[in-house]
Amino acid sequence: MRHSTAPGRRTKVKLMDKLSQRLREDAANIDVEVSAELDERIRASLEGVTPERPRDDAMPPRLRSMWWASSLTGIAAATVIIVLINLNQPEPPATATTVQAMPIFTPRLIARPAVMTAPLQKELEDLEADLKKAEEAVRKDIGLFP
Amino acid sequence: MSDELKLINEAKAGSVTAFTELVRTYREGLLRFLLTRCASYADAEDALQDTFINAYRYLYSYNSRWRFSTWLYRIAIRNAGKLPTHYVTEIGELRDEESDPLQQCIADSERENLWQSARRLLSDEVYSAMWLRYVEDMSIKDVAAVLNRSNSWTKVNLLRGRRKLDAALNRAGTANESEAYG
Repeated sequence: MRHSTAPGRRTKVKLMDKLSQRLREDAANIDVEVSAELDERIRASLEGVTPERPRDDAMPPRLRSMWWASSLTGIAAATVIIVLINLNQPEPPATATTVQAMPIFTPRLIARPAVMTAPLQKELEDLEADLKKAEEAVRKDIGLFP
Repeated sequence: MSDELKLINEAKAGSVTAFTELVRTYREGLLRFLLTRCASYADAEDALQDTFINAYRYLYSYNSRWRFSTWLYRIAIRNAGKLPTHYVTEIGELRDEESDPLQQCIADSERENLWQSARRLLSDEVYSAMWLRYVEDMSIKDVAAVLNRSNSWTKVNLLRGRRKLDAALNRAGTANESEAYG
């Protein structure tokens, strides 16, 4: 599937390609020539150069494997010793542990029944008195009392 | 194994003849590049000679994971940077045409060589990046390796360089058209 390209973008891409081409062409237009004299000079210089050798401070493979083996053996031995020392240590004496319960705060709700029921009792008595008064008033109205 | 790698291995073993073959392959391209960085043709030749001497001396450190040209250009840029200031041309510095080695090597033309515009408009590193990418056809990764920069820096600066040159190219085109139409 081909995607449509915006005309502006196409022009930009075209310009960029033109630029790359111009850069290549213009670089090719820089006319250089390595003279025979320079060529000879370079060759003579190279003849006089002693190539450096990589520094031979690296361990040979055999020595390197031995170094690894001894290091690993050392680490393993140290680990075994640490484990053994920890295993042979006497157990610390068990100490009696006392579990202390957390004090729970309980509010003291002490109330006397008489104190609590007194107002109700008074209310009841008042109601009974009112009822009695009302009954007497009714009797009086209907003529039951002289 | 490629012919180039074969020559490199022979040179590593101490063969000057093999290394001279490599020199023949890269000398013109490197000289062209160094011309744009040095104050005179003679200085560019000296820088070229130093580049090949250093390359031969430290050939053992070349890793075939990279292109040989990438490694050579890295040495060339380092050598150009080591030259005393009066041997090196500051990119962007305008000089008289008679002493300009680049001008001397450019054939007379109606229009200005784009690399001269690039030298005026771009910074040293961006100029080098543009050259390596568009003349030497190096990948972004290789250009970044030569300049010791990140891939993203290289991409961004190549784009900026292109935009600047593109604008210069368009301005020149417009000016020419105006002159043509009076």
